[in-house]
Amino acid sequence: MSHNLDVYMPVLILAAFAAIMFVGALLVGKLLRPHNPTELKVSPYECGEVPIGTAWSNFNIRFYVVALIFIIFDVEGAFMFPVAAVFKRFVEMGEGGPVLALLLLFISVLLEGISY
Amino acid sequence: MNDTIVSYLAQAPGYSLAVSKISEILGFDATGLVTFLVFGIAVFIVVNVMALVGGLGTYAERKISADIQMRQGPNRVGPYGLLQFLADGVKMITKEDVTPRDADKTLFFVAPLLALVGVFMSLAVIPFSSGFTLTSLNIGVFYLLGVSSLVGVAIFVGGYASNSKWSMLGGMRGASQIISYEVPVTLSILAVVLMAGGLSFGTITEAQGGLPHQWFILHNPFSFIAFFVLFVGALAEANRAPFDLPEAESELVSGYHTEFTGMRFAFFALAEYIEVFVLCGVCAALFLGGYNVPFGLGSGDFIIKNFPAVHPMIAKQIGNVLQLKVFVLKTLALYYVVIWIRWTLPRLRVDHLMTLCWKYMTPIAIFNLVGIAIWIYAFEGKSMLTLMASALSAMAGSGGGH
Amino acid sequence: MFLDTMFLLSALATLGGALMVVMSKNLMHACMYLLLSLFGVAGLYATLGADFLAATQLVVYAGGVVILMLFAIMLTGGVEEFVNKFGINKIPSMGTTKTYTIGAIVSLIFSFVILKTLSPLFKNYSQADLPPMESTVEDIGVLLVTDHALAFEISSVLLLGALIGAAVISRPRKINGGSK
Repeated sequence: MSHNLDVYMPVLILAAFAAIMFVGALLVGKLLRPHNPTELKVSPYECGEVPIGTAWSNFNIRFYVVALIFIIFDVEGAFMFPVAAVFKRFVEMGEGGPVLALLLLFISVLLEGISY
Repeated sequence: MNDTIVSYLAQAPGYSLAVSKISEILGFDATGLVTFLVFGIAVFIVVNVMALVGGLGTYAERKISADIQMRQGPNRVGPYGLLQFLADGVKMITKEDVTPRDADKTLFFVAPLLALVGVFMSLAVIPFSSGFTLTSLNIGVFYLLGVSSLVGVAIFVGGYASNSKWSMLGGMRGASQIISYEVPVTLSILAVVLMAGGLSFGTITEAQGGLPHQWFILHNPFSFIAFFVLFVGALAEANRAPFDLPEAESELVSGYHTEFTGMRFAFFALAEYIEVFVLCGVCAALFLGGYNVPFGLGSGDFIIKNFPAVHPMIAKQIGNVLQLKVFVLKTLALYYVVIWIRWTLPRLRVDHLMTLCWKYMTPIAIFNLVGIAIWIYAFEGKSMLTLMASALSAMAGSGGGH
Repeated sequence: MFLDTMFLLSALATLGGALMVVMSKNLMHACMYLLLSLFGVAGLYATLGADFLAATQLVVYAGGVVILMLFAIMLTGGVEEFVNKFGINKIPSMGTTKTYTIGAIVSLIFSFVILKTLSPLFKNYSQADLPPMESTVEDIGVLLVTDHALAFEISSVLLLGALIGAAVISRPRKINGGSK
């Protein structure tokens, strides 16, 4: 093997496979299934009531804040993963102390945010 | 580090021979082509097995729920109703494909596709055995996190595209639930990474042993808690009860897939069941020793040592099959627990769900992380039971001296 | 060979996605194309051997930022109404053929100028010359706790600021009767 970029090949193949499976099943299904939509059938399901307006409306800002906090933690995770990966090696070298201190400082600063 | 199924097969003596022969016939270097073919076949096998697992998952779910509620469950199609999922598949494919009038047609098509792609892509790094891993990326766990968040997008888009109020609510809840619970899950996985010193599933699994006392779950008290945080978070990420709010039948009709019919719905369901399997597999690999088989049976050392007549290569294959079995067994045990939980615990309320995540699980996960970091520093990565054993022997030694 | 395929696919996804983000008039569709584009960028990182960066791209952007944007779109609620209540087009037309042509020519000239200035920096490597790809995770980790420890800690302070900001937004207002 000339280069080990091949490791990403299954990822692409899997994605392609999923797409082919999905489209294929829908196409095969198209030959088999009936197709006779009626006005009632294609209207959004609301337990038999006639729907009023569309569902695309504004909603609570809390969802947005949840997403915001999630991104912050995501970035935090992205920072800590590489450090965590080498932490054991540092400990084995006997240099774990400073790294631990750095890690704890990082986490404690974030903890302040949560407690806030 | 970057082990793939191809690099595993390449160890076999026949492989390079076959490659060179094919190259001769075709007249150009066929290494890439053969790699592609091997990957293609492996992917085909994995996907089909997974589809089977997903199908049988629906069957198992109904059978176990029937068992728990003292009912019969599906028992008409095939022996013990085993072929029920095939019948369901036929039913799904012949169902009419209704696209609601007000729906966003493109996104209505894209949403199930996204769910399926996201789940399938996460299959790439599942460590079935030391040899049979599609690809052991050295960013394995992190990659898995990224890909599985695609399912959250899919659920939101599915809910949005239907343009039905139930779906919209389900999609909103689903997306916010998935991203919320990803935080404790990430932190628990970080704890494992701290213990293992690597991000790839191979490294993490190899850092554990075959017997339960060598697993990460019993490594130290913090990791014991971390396992449960991860497991609960995984339940929530896969929208399983008691966290199945996005598809709560009693309040949201059917949640984000209310408007999806026929095969589109089938693919959402398939994606969900495979995701449960994937997450159970991740839990098993991270905390329960993954594919490790006790007594060196997995790597074939045991057989090589005790039965010298057996060719080492064959011994290794036997070890691999054993590893595969152990991994699948652990995963399916967790799968059973997941179904069991579904029929045992009532559903949470939305605000309770969020409180549980942000006020309990995230602080606990951070606490665990700190605890494990200190533990590794203080005891130089030794596990709880090793320490106890050495303490015991020291006591016995001093006792004998007096 | 696979290197080329992967590069082409990623580049196509990046550029095509980015183009469609600009072209599409539906915000939701634009967001989906953005997802495609971000995946393409992750693929490009992976092609360059920066595997950790690629995964970070997936986790932070494809997972987090896209969901944030979807939520933001739903929050503002301007999805399907292209005309606001005064009858004015919310999304004005982007231009005529004349403006498109001028824009294309200008961007071409600019890109040529930039390429010309940068060209001494580019080198042609054949694949054999490239160092074998290794995991970048360990390198990043070591650098973060040795050379760039200060930046590591400062980034945590930055994240703290963002967290507090989010908390302030979500905190119910007590002045206006606290109806939230």
